[in-house]
Amino acid sequence: MPSIPALSSDVANDAPPSRPLLDVQNLRVHFLTGAGAVRAVDGIDYEVGSQETLGLVGESGSGKTMSSLALLRLVPRPARVVGGRVLFEGRDLMALPESQIGAVRGKRIAMVFQNPAYSLNPIFSIGHQLGEIYAWHEKVGRREAWARVAELMHLVGITDPLARLGQFPHELSGGMKQRVCIARALLCNPALVLADEPTTNLDVTIQAQILELLDELKRRLGTSMILVTHDMGVVARMADRIVVMYAGRICEISDARTIFRNPQHPYTRALLESMPRVDQSYARSRAERLPVIKGRPPNLLDPPSGCRFHPRCPEAGPECRRLLPEMTSIAPGHAVSCLRRGSPGAPAS
Amino acid sequence: MDVTAAGVTTAPIPPEAGPKPARPPGTWRQGWHRFRRNTTGMLGLGLVGLVVLVALACPLLAPFDPNDQSAMMNFGSRAAPSLKHPLGTDRMGYDVLSRVVYGAPTALAVGLGAMLVASVIGMIIGGVSGYLGGMADEIMMRLTEFFLVIPVFVVILAVVRLFGIIVVGSPLERVPFLNLFTIIILLGLFGWPSIARLTRAEFLRLKHMEFVEAARCIGATRRDILVRHILPNAMPSLVVVIALGIGGAILAEAMVSFLGFGDPKAISWGQLLYFNYESLKVAPWASIAPSAAIFITVLGFNLLADGLSDAFNPRLKQ
Amino acid sequence: MGKLLGILRYILRRLLFSLGLILGVSAIIFALINAIGNPIEILLAERPGISTEAIEAMTRYYGLDQPVLTRYGTWLWNMASGDFGTSIMYNQSVGEMLSTWGWETLKIQVPAILIALSLATLIGVTAATRQYTRTDFGVMTGALLGQSLPGFFVGIVLILIFSYWLGIFPSYGAYSTRNLLWGSPLADSLWHMVLPVAMLAFFNTATLTLLMRSNLVDVLRNDFIMAARASGLPERRVVFGHALRNAFIPVLTYLGILFGLMLGTAPVTETVFTWPGVGYLYISAIQQLDFPVIMGVSMIITVMLVAATLLTDIAYVLIDPRIRLE
Repeated sequence: MPSIPALSSDVANDAPPSRPLLDVQNLRVHFLTGAGAVRAVDGIDYEVGSQETLGLVGESGSGKTMSSLALLRLVPRPARVVGGRVLFEGRDLMALPESQIGAVRGKRIAMVFQNPAYSLNPIFSIGHQLGEIYAWHEKVGRREAWARVAELMHLVGITDPLARLGQFPHELSGGMKQRVCIARALLCNPALVLADEPTTNLDVTIQAQILELLDELKRRLGTSMILVTHDMGVVARMADRIVVMYAGRICEISDARTIFRNPQHPYTRALLESMPRVDQSYARSRAERLPVIKGRPPNLLDPPSGCRFHPRCPEAGPECRRLLPEMTSIAPGHAVSCLRRGSPGAPAS
Repeated sequence: MDVTAAGVTTAPIPPEAGPKPARPPGTWRQGWHRFRRNTTGMLGLGLVGLVVLVALACPLLAPFDPNDQSAMMNFGSRAAPSLKHPLGTDRMGYDVLSRVVYGAPTALAVGLGAMLVASVIGMIIGGVSGYLGGMADEIMMRLTEFFLVIPVFVVILAVVRLFGIIVVGSPLERVPFLNLFTIIILLGLFGWPSIARLTRAEFLRLKHMEFVEAARCIGATRRDILVRHILPNAMPSLVVVIALGIGGAILAEAMVSFLGFGDPKAISWGQLLYFNYESLKVAPWASIAPSAAIFITVLGFNLLADGLSDAFNPRLKQ
Repeated sequence: MGKLLGILRYILRRLLFSLGLILGVSAIIFALINAIGNPIEILLAERPGISTEAIEAMTRYYGLDQPVLTRYGTWLWNMASGDFGTSIMYNQSVGEMLSTWGWETLKIQVPAILIALSLATLIGVTAATRQYTRTDFGVMTGALLGQSLPGFFVGIVLILIFSYWLGIFPSYGAYSTRNLLWGSPLADSLWHMVLPVAMLAFFNTATLTLLMRSNLVDVLRNDFIMAARASGLPERRVVFGHALRNAFIPVLTYLGILFGLMLGTAPVTETVFTWPGVGYLYISAIQQLDFPVIMGVSMIITVMLVAATLLTDIAYVLIDPRIRLE
């Protein structure tokens, strides 16, 4: 039975292995509707190293949730993964037969969902539904499974774990429910956790607690994490590296510090500018208003030609309408897809 | 009429000449467009239209008078379908086709009549219950639940029979088709709960919407708000349940008549079966034809309801 | 321990309420029957020729020479001790008749409901997991067709095909009088049951399938289903262990009503197949104005329905952890 290391400061100091933990290559997810194909995820490439937290940011409709669901092949109908490779622990997850993907889900890669109130089955007790998962993966009996669940509840900071085992989701508060969901993800000590907006549906005070918990767990257990969110404040706190997505494509990838200090892509800049800051006051006059990104989110059924962001981009030029920029490295560890920053473009739509 | 310096009138707008009932722009037009593209709905509409046409034109369409038993003499009863009698003759020498054709207006009268009664009662009870809430709501909900659970069927049979007895010797006895009217009203009296439930749900949903508050602000009376503002917005969902109810009422009357409690003077498809069921082996057409007629009619209304429901609440299609 | 006490208190409250309900309905039934006038007079009007002595005997037997409330009280008291009176048509104890004829109805209703439930679950699961595909639309259309068919039509078709044309099953009655199938009364009885059960099961399947499918579709949309898949549980377990259990709970109410009204929902089937059940009995009783039978049947149906609702409510409290007991 895998055990949680009691103290793992050495885990965090290990030199990361040369091969990335997760290597996503040209992932594409489409919705097939009567009116045509909606390209929710239109060819994205990124990597996640071991013990690393990757922040995946973008507005709603940017494809960030779809792309993380796609990793575990959980994309709901009528959407489908139509191309790409996802290399993880020596295998391409997209090429695995259906019977084998189950051994990855929940065991090597686990997920934490957005709304804790709805992601727990209301008619089963906590012990039952979490124990079931552990018992299924590790082939153990009920007693061992429940013991493991209690262990994890303690780990995530839930008081009186043994009593909680018999309780039902509606008897827990929102923050506690999310802790349970995090515990569920960690049951089998996965190498990677996908957290989709884990704090969006929580009270602000609870948000901070949960983020702190995630941080601490990451340090102690050495798990990598993909944190999907639209909240720049969250990634500022949690992420080692950041991927910025727009309209199903990646705009910019870099480490967190560079993204905040030296954003290159116009969209990234606009996102950062539109973040309200505590040390600034906003008034109604034009000069001091909170900046917004002009224009509307793109229609994914009929996306803008060329660069997807060009209708809303303050720096758009004539070539931005014709050519689709490719991801280009502009500095070690910093890549951008923008024609104005030197990316080559291909005349595609 | 006061006119301010800026030239704008400040007189309050009288509620009677109030703003048009606020509904989302073109619900009906949007719905109709969606409905037109919906195969099930259009098919249902076609079937219903067919039945209505037959009902309206029955004297023209039926080759024989429905009470014509002349076949007994020359052709023979229980004769198989032929050129002269396209659907054959039944046990008592009637031409089956004619009787089936004349059954259409009865069926429609039952369906529409029963649902009219049910709708009026249901909409009032449901609307008041949903809008007022509180004690009135509680009482009406219990009442609705109670009615929903009664084995409607057995009760109708008993009441029809007993009513028939009470009426003997009284002036009511001479009312034509009294038995049929009784059935229609009873079906309506037992059919209101589903309408009431939906009306209540819709009113609950709508009464908190902004346009209701706006109407209240300009001084619309409660009756006004209920009838001219909320009700039109609840209609799309109600129409679906009503269409379903019409089919249900027709089925119910058919079964009541089949068991022998129908109106002997009215020509109803269930009645035809009641008369001809015993000759099923020798003259199956006499039983199949009216059954098929019932099926087509009820199917039409059910398909119509399905199509309407899709049109007003479109499902995400592939 | 406290929870158990709470459950017991809840049961007690519902029991009392149910008894009150039964009492209320009995009063209504009694009032209605008596409102139409003296049953003896009515009988006379319908069937002149009954001797005066017979009339006087019946009047005394039914206590019709006594005030209404006394009659009501006597009737209630008798019913509570199991005496439902004597049938005018058959001159038998109504209680006895209810058990014999009732048994026949149960013979076809219970298997029909169980078969319908199993079929509906299978078909419903198939349709819900393939939402928006042709299978799903096929199932929905089939169910819609099923709900548009008049009851006797199905019976007629079954008889025409399987009885008259293919000659496999009998077309009426519950038992053969001679030439039992394979010489065995059990086999003969089952053989007669097939067509009526098929007819009843058909309609129940249509409604239950739509209900089951709709519930499942709603449940499958939930995040916790996606979470169960993401945790690595195989699809089978997710659908049957998680989704189905959640979807089944609302079906309980409907099942409760189905079982509760069992005795009263088969008159058409029983007429089509000349099946000697309560529905058939009730129809004759109404035609012949056999009041003891009418009242007895109404009361037994009411009691069964109230009992079924009570059991369903209790089942809910035990199964669904979200239900509060207040």
